[in-house]
Amino acid sequence: MTDNAPVLSVDGLSVRRGEQLAVEQVSFQLARETDTALVGPNGAGKSSLVAALLGLLPRASGNVEILGHALGPAGELPRSVRAQIAYLPQSLALQGRFPLTVGEFVGFGFDQPGLSLAWLGNKRRTKAMLRALERTGCQDLEDRRLSELSGGQLKRVLLAFCVVRPRQLLVLDEAQAGLDAPSSEQFQELLLDLRRQEGWTVLQVSHDLEMVRRSCDQVLCLNRRLRCSGAPDHALSPARLAELYGPNVVPYRHNHAGIAGHG
Amino acid sequence: MPGLLAMVDAAGLLEIVGQPFMQRALLGGLLTGALGGLLGSFAVLRQLSFFSDALGHSALLGISLGILLGVNPTLVLIPFAVVFALLVNQLVARSGLPADALLNIVYSTSLAFAVVALSLVEAYRGGIQQLLFGDILGISWSDLTVIAVLLLGALLYLALSLRAQVLLTLNSDLAGAFGVGANRHRLIFIVLLAVVVAVSIKAVGVLLISAFVVIPACGGRLVSRHFPLYALASATLGGGCALLGLLGSGLTNLPSGPCVVIVQFLGFLAALLVSQLSPRSGVLASATAVASRSKPSGAREAG
Repeated sequence: MTDNAPVLSVDGLSVRRGEQLAVEQVSFQLARETDTALVGPNGAGKSSLVAALLGLLPRASGNVEILGHALGPAGELPRSVRAQIAYLPQSLALQGRFPLTVGEFVGFGFDQPGLSLAWLGNKRRTKAMLRALERTGCQDLEDRRLSELSGGQLKRVLLAFCVVRPRQLLVLDEAQAGLDAPSSEQFQELLLDLRRQEGWTVLQVSHDLEMVRRSCDQVLCLNRRLRCSGAPDHALSPARLAELYGPNVVPYRHNHAGIAGHG
Repeated sequence: MPGLLAMVDAAGLLEIVGQPFMQRALLGGLLTGALGGLLGSFAVLRQLSFFSDALGHSALLGISLGILLGVNPTLVLIPFAVVFALLVNQLVARSGLPADALLNIVYSTSLAFAVVALSLVEAYRGGIQQLLFGDILGISWSDLTVIAVLLLGALLYLALSLRAQVLLTLNSDLAGAFGVGANRHRLIFIVLLAVVVAVSIKAVGVLLISAFVVIPACGGRLVSRHFPLYALASATLGGGCALLGLLGSGLTNLPSGPCVVIVQFLGFLAALLVSQLSPRSGVLASATAVASRSKPSGAREAG
């Protein structure tokens, strides 16, 4: 794969959820080390699209290539390619007293995918885990249970999980959901820092259009089909937003924006 | 009570332990208890504890089928449990109904058929209590071999797939993106759990089988912060309590299954006490967590 080749290439992708097409004929590419936002109203198919890209949902049609390797019909990818992908979900299903510490969890991200003794002591893994915790400001959390963390702490620990080994593609599914404005801002700053340092190519599902406008290189506007795409100023123009979300919705213009009904 | 205590003396204990059938029973209890605790530590986290309960109750149908067909019920039980587990898994996946409601339907119906079937077999009416509450004294060397092989297999699989199991529990998409085959691991785990339940029924009976899976795991969770220690603590509690329960059963001539479960419950209470006293895993740890949550979430140190 050459340096100019896209990290992710999607061609004519359709995804079915039950009887209906949740995503229809979507095509786009992610250039190396760019930050792309996927925006659209609830039910637009954003999570279905992300799930299909990761090989978690079958495709109705279309092709997906990640780092030059075609995603198989059942989501198959070479292990070496899978190891280059990090995914940051909205939340974790943490029951009370979940018996897993932050250090253990982050360490789980270090080994290659597949069966492994990732819970056994290993100097390289421990070193990488400590470094990842330090880089995400989580060094004091190493021995805390995951279930004891606040929402903001948990998001940073998830970023530590992603940064514990070198990766190329980071996919975030509304990772800032549930965070208050300052925590969301800090998370985004940390994400940007790590992206620059790591050379990540980022695809993030977001409802925070102001953050998208400030931070992202490219925006994909989805409402089952790709309604528009391009640089934020182009894709998030009032006319485009009205087309995507309806005429009564405009983005906030102050610091920690989202979208809101208007009038 | 004085009579009961009089029975519990050293000579009585030595005499009981010296019996070959009791040695087999103790070893069987230790192994099945450890197996139940080990599998239970994962089953409870993956919210499959009710599955083991339903499977245990439904196993009575497998046993009664064996009796009706004139085949050794133990030989029928393991394939029956595996087929039952696979069918329920498919039913849950395809029906879209809540798993607990479906399991309830399946196990009550199986139980009803089993009781009807057993009532048709005159010779087996007397043995129903052994099926319900366990009869580990009847355990054979071949049973022990099966349990030991199963324990080794479970240890190997869970050791290699621990990370996958944990990630699947936390977020199936996170696990899938990491290359974990969610369906494959769920299927393997359910089959393993079904087999463990099937072999443990001899020790504890169909009514109390879920205790073997749930109680040690909950006790282990109370005292462990680290996942490998949690699995180890659950297996140790399961095996240790089964051993003590069987000794108590032998000394007092009470049914083995209920004795084991009572000792497991005492073990759980002990774990609860330890967790409340320990600053690392009990009250103080919870207080620390509450304090950290109450800090302003905007501060980077606090999250």
